[in-house]
Amino acid sequence: MNMELIGVWIAVFLTLSIFSFLYKDNPFYKIAEHIFVGVSAGYWMSIFFWTQIQPNLFGRLWPSQNYTNDGLWYRIYDGLSVLSGNIFPSGGIDKGHDIDLIYIIPLGLGIMMLLSLYRPLNWMARWGIAYTVGMAAGLRAYGYLNSNVLGQVKGTIIPIAGTELPFFSLLGQSHFNNLIIFFGTLSGLLYFYFSKEHKGTFGKVTKIGIYFLMVSFGASFGFAVMGRISLLIGRFTDLLMYSQSEYHHASIWVLIIMVLLLAFSAYKDREDLPT
Amino acid sequence: MIWKRQIPILIVSVIGFLTLFGWFTDQPAMKSFIDDDATQWFDILASFAIFLGGFNLFKLQMQKIMKKQSGWEYSIFAIAGLLFAITAGFLYKGNPDIEWGTHVTGKGTLFKWMFNYMFAPMQATMFALLAFYVASASYRAFRIRNFEATLLLVSGIIIMIGRVPLGSNISSWFIMYLLVLLLGITINIVYKNKQYTAIAVCLGLIIVTTMGSSMNWPLDQPGIFYLPYLQEWIYKNPNVAGARSIMIGIGLGIFGTSVRYILGIERSYIGE
Amino acid sequence: MNSLVELILKLGKVDRRWIFLIIGVVVLLPLIYPISLPIRATATTKQAYDTIDNLKPNSNVLLSCEYGPSTKPEIHPMTTSVLRHLFRNGHKVYIVCLWADGLFMAEEALEEVAVNEFGLTYGVDYVLLGFRPGNEAVVKGIVSDIRKLYTIDARGTKVTEIPMMDGINKFEDFDFLFSASAGYPGTIEWVQFAVDVTNVQMTTGTTSIQVNEVMPYVQAGQLQGVLAGMPGAAEYEALIGVKGIGTSGMDAQSVAHLVIVLFIIFGNIGYFIERNRSKNSRGIN
Repeated sequence: MNMELIGVWIAVFLTLSIFSFLYKDNPFYKIAEHIFVGVSAGYWMSIFFWTQIQPNLFGRLWPSQNYTNDGLWYRIYDGLSVLSGNIFPSGGIDKGHDIDLIYIIPLGLGIMMLLSLYRPLNWMARWGIAYTVGMAAGLRAYGYLNSNVLGQVKGTIIPIAGTELPFFSLLGQSHFNNLIIFFGTLSGLLYFYFSKEHKGTFGKVTKIGIYFLMVSFGASFGFAVMGRISLLIGRFTDLLMYSQSEYHHASIWVLIIMVLLLAFSAYKDREDLPT
Repeated sequence: MIWKRQIPILIVSVIGFLTLFGWFTDQPAMKSFIDDDATQWFDILASFAIFLGGFNLFKLQMQKIMKKQSGWEYSIFAIAGLLFAITAGFLYKGNPDIEWGTHVTGKGTLFKWMFNYMFAPMQATMFALLAFYVASASYRAFRIRNFEATLLLVSGIIIMIGRVPLGSNISSWFIMYLLVLLLGITINIVYKNKQYTAIAVCLGLIIVTTMGSSMNWPLDQPGIFYLPYLQEWIYKNPNVAGARSIMIGIGLGIFGTSVRYILGIERSYIGE
Repeated sequence: MNSLVELILKLGKVDRRWIFLIIGVVVLLPLIYPISLPIRATATTKQAYDTIDNLKPNSNVLLSCEYGPSTKPEIHPMTTSVLRHLFRNGHKVYIVCLWADGLFMAEEALEEVAVNEFGLTYGVDYVLLGFRPGNEAVVKGIVSDIRKLYTIDARGTKVTEIPMMDGINKFEDFDFLFSASAGYPGTIEWVQFAVDVTNVQMTTGTTSIQVNEVMPYVQAGQLQGVLAGMPGAAEYEALIGVKGIGTSGMDAQSVAHLVIVLFIIFGNIGYFIERNRSKNSRGIN
């Protein structure tokens, strides 16, 4: 059985089913959407398990280099090994770690997270979530202050006069361009200062700040269009590849069948409409 | 109860303080714990959170099927997809030469097949749908209602055309002629005088044609009317200014919010 | 004239599914019948290219893949082009992934470039360390002690047994970082937690949507240039002289952009006609 060919037809069916949403919501789209939800969840679970939980958690709690036939700890492992030899191979997990029993803490927090599926125990997830929130807060407080505030303020301190730079240059550095960046950043920041009413000179400066923000939003819009079209080009490139004879013209056949079925369904809906 | 409220808040504060001060301490044991082990625990808990999500999905879809709620037939497909992925991930490799663990990227495995022909096409197509909606929005929703909206659209259009190869092939003289035409339309709207319009347009055409002939119609001069140069200038100067002010604002906001979490003032993670 | 005005107003109310069809046709046709418009590199792409080209010989380069199938058309051509450039100049490449999907993308890119094109040796010329979950915590881990985070590579080999990992203990042991990034975690986390706290230089390739978020870093010197979306990938392909998917998509990109600009102009013409009509009818009343 040619698994690649079967896979191509499935991929084409799922792709065109999702595109069929552009016509209207229909069973093809709903089927593909639900398959996507289920497959995604299973995919992420597998990836995260095999790249983190098994090697870095179980691999530190029961490493093969500390495996011993005595002691309760590895007897527990042997029991788990009977349950799943894939996850817990015999003789311990060989990922280059030393035993580190402090990792019982994240194991415990993780199990508490899973127990929260049972409604009376759903407060248990809060401990694990609290750990991740605390760590993320600590990391971001420094990271954003250093790079997004101090780093950007530093980047705005640029020469606007008195150096060898030309007054204006379209493509390179110039005093005028630096002045635009400096004044634009300042006026844009002042726009977000709402503790003072935006009127008089201050109001005029904030108005200019809005103009700079609008230019930035316009650029973002242009880039957003660019990005979306690029993704569409990617899908069409794949569909064109799968329309070739080596894949038995999968794209063409699936498209024809889908269009016919949707057209028939539209015709039936029109017939069923009360006159 | 203490373990439902106070202990989570305490965990956030302790871990938050430790992580924050980890940037500023050189004490080896503490630094090693914060930079290495604490980081690993974070990764492990993130992985458990994914499992929680997966089990939750299974629970909700099964409930939908058992209670025969609206659309329950489609939930069968969701469960089937989940079970298929779990089988490929944990139960059946498909390629006996590859070890468990590396089977997620190994050639010839069922998991890789699922990724190539189910997950990847569906994920890519979901995002590709947005291209159609962006085009529809451009036609039906984007309106030049005021000066700010005009600025937004003009800079967007310059970026869109200037950044692609097509923009490189549009002569700056074509843009200048277009601007002369726009000037004519503006004068007609403001003054409603056909004579003024005709004079303005004719003068504009003569000036542009004379300049072009004398310079021998170079594609990219004058540079200010050559779209790729213009978009480069917009992209690197006023655009950066606007984006930077937003970035600084967001950075200050995130710093403030993070400190609120660490001090226990913000408690949205426990539903307060 | 009146009939033209009526036609414009009628087209303004057209069912959006016709617009979808036009966009679909406009993107599809140039893929089937290429126009081959010449590609000109922008300054930020050139800056990225020059930075990589001027790396000292035998540099240890960290390449981070944080993109997936949904953003593959934009980012994957950049990854393959940068790999070509690095391998051509004889640098050693270490690949990590902040996204799970990035692992698959990295495997594909390495298969195409390192194995099929250059015939390089795994573990000597390049190594795929793989994916670790944890977002910015992973970046922090790489900065402080990469060996604690990666005890095995993506193929299950212990890091201590990989020849090119000798002397690589933390982020500062690398000479350069390239991040192929489609969102969070990605470029911004690398800048905040790795580049800004060490002296290692970095450049990045991002999706078009993310470009505006990272431009301030480029202007501030925290990033050495940026490859912006599929056009950026096509420009880099043109600079290294190897055309790929990035280049082949640019014709469709150009035509689609032109059509969308025409949609905007057309839509606004209809809007102004309607606005004038309602103003005039209010004036009469």
